[in-house]
Amino acid sequence: MTAQEIVGRIQKKLQELGIAWRTQTVDTFKAGSPQTDVKGIATTGMATFDLLRRASAAGKNFVITHEPTFYNHQDQTADLETDPTYQAKQRFIKDNNLIVFRFHDHAHALQPDPLVAGSARMLGWTQYASPTEPRVYVVPATTLRELAVDVAAKLHGKAIRVAGDPDMKVTRVALGPGYGVPTLTSSVDVAVGGEAAESGGNVEYILDAAADGQKKGVILLGHMMSEDWGMKEVADWLRPLVPEIPVEWLPAGEPFITSR
Amino acid sequence: MAASYPSRREFIAATAASLLRPRSVRAQKGNVTAQQVADRIRSNLGVDWRPQTVDGFKAGDPTIAVTGIAVTVLATTDVLRTAAAAGQNLVITQEPLYYATNDDPGNRAKDPVYLAKKAVIDQQHLAVFRFTEHWNARQPNESAKALAAALKWTSAVQDTPQTYRIPDTTLENLAAHVRRHLPIRGGLRMVGQPDLRVRTVYLAPGTTSLAMAVTNLQRADAVLAGEPREWEAVPYTLDTWPSNRGKGLIAIGRMVSEGPGMSACAAWIRSLVPDVRVESVAVADPYWSVNA
Repeated sequence: MTAQEIVGRIQKKLQELGIAWRTQTVDTFKAGSPQTDVKGIATTGMATFDLLRRASAAGKNFVITHEPTFYNHQDQTADLETDPTYQAKQRFIKDNNLIVFRFHDHAHALQPDPLVAGSARMLGWTQYASPTEPRVYVVPATTLRELAVDVAAKLHGKAIRVAGDPDMKVTRVALGPGYGVPTLTSSVDVAVGGEAAESGGNVEYILDAAADGQKKGVILLGHMMSEDWGMKEVADWLRPLVPEIPVEWLPAGEPFITSR
Repeated sequence: MAASYPSRREFIAATAASLLRPRSVRAQKGNVTAQQVADRIRSNLGVDWRPQTVDGFKAGDPTIAVTGIAVTVLATTDVLRTAAAAGQNLVITQEPLYYATNDDPGNRAKDPVYLAKKAVIDQQHLAVFRFTEHWNARQPNESAKALAAALKWTSAVQDTPQTYRIPDTTLENLAAHVRRHLPIRGGLRMVGQPDLRVRTVYLAPGTTSLAMAVTNLQRADAVLAGEPREWEAVPYTLDTWPSNRGKGLIAIGRMVSEGPGMSACAAWIRSLVPDVRVESVAVADPYWSVNA
């Protein structure tokens, strides 16, 4: 089966679910030939160079990635053509007959969004999902510090950043995927997500809320610590669509190391 | 001397005028308005004012007489209150006032936190001026220069903007040096191997774009970043390792990275309005960490 045929099955399944394939989308082939015969599929949060090596070593020549391969949302490569890192990555893809396809826009369109559900499952929050408010989880009463410690332990994050009073009481948590950190409002105690614009958003709101006597918090997991897990959900979703081919989730992993 | 005292008539006129004006006007000395401060900034920039810009007045009346100026990375409610208490009615901020790049409160227009902030501005008759694009357009880059100075780096690499030669170190020790010299709590994150040898560093406070990383890591061993996107400069730096180039990135967060630059900005504005007290107001690293 070719990579193109596998994408065809994904599109067919989405159509059955009432999700039309978008004409404007970043979900396209990023490298390799779509006509390549697929031996195995790896899903991942990001097709980093290290991930491509691991996928190739595991016999998975078709990589389905949530985030870009070439460091920008549109995977534009014109400005990278002379860059030695870009060249080496492209060479590796070619030499190892890999194909890379991005599955971003349509993955987020699935219900529930696997990129949120994956993190919720890892965090043990699935049971706390609000029946009426999307992405809101009503967790047993805790503090921001305890919540952040628990989150870091469960996701194995090494560079989790927290803003807000560590001793604030927390029950209502909004969980978003990747760059989609939910907006803090008066009905949410803590927003959890991957990464956020550090100006024009939640961080300033937290500082101002504190000045107004309201306690709010944000936990930034890092983009991969937020969305890698969701691509495991995507692997589980994909497996029955291509029973002929092994499908494995390979996490891109935490890009950050910490220093003391 | 008797001649220096106002006549009774002049005194009454002055008192009546003062009653008609906001309280802040009476305290001012140099009689410069917020708009005139903005005009002096524009005419001394050395950079053309852009027709489309986020810079400009975001709140308050530009015609108020300025009693004092607070210059900050971020005009939080706390910064605004502190400024008002210190008699500073013009606040110059690098980052947005109302939680969005265009300062449109949007869905937060009825939010109590937004309303409380707006009330401080209204009640204290403050004016808030945003100054980011044009400050950062000055060459050489003021924020990078000030950040280097805060880190005690003086050896700028010739013809390579924002790049400094530093005493031979490792990525891990560079992170420790950065921690010692900047007010970092939990916001520091690192990409690369800790024992990477570092001799040259590219400074990219604020937004650290992919293009900055790709272009400048050709020469520099590491990037000192403010806010890099985690699908751009971060994975690019990560990918330099399997391609045998081995580069480093240390992200310190937007607020901390812009702190020294806004202190320098305060000093520059002071030179433009010497008759008004201009103070730099620091904003602490908003982040803490469970890992550190």
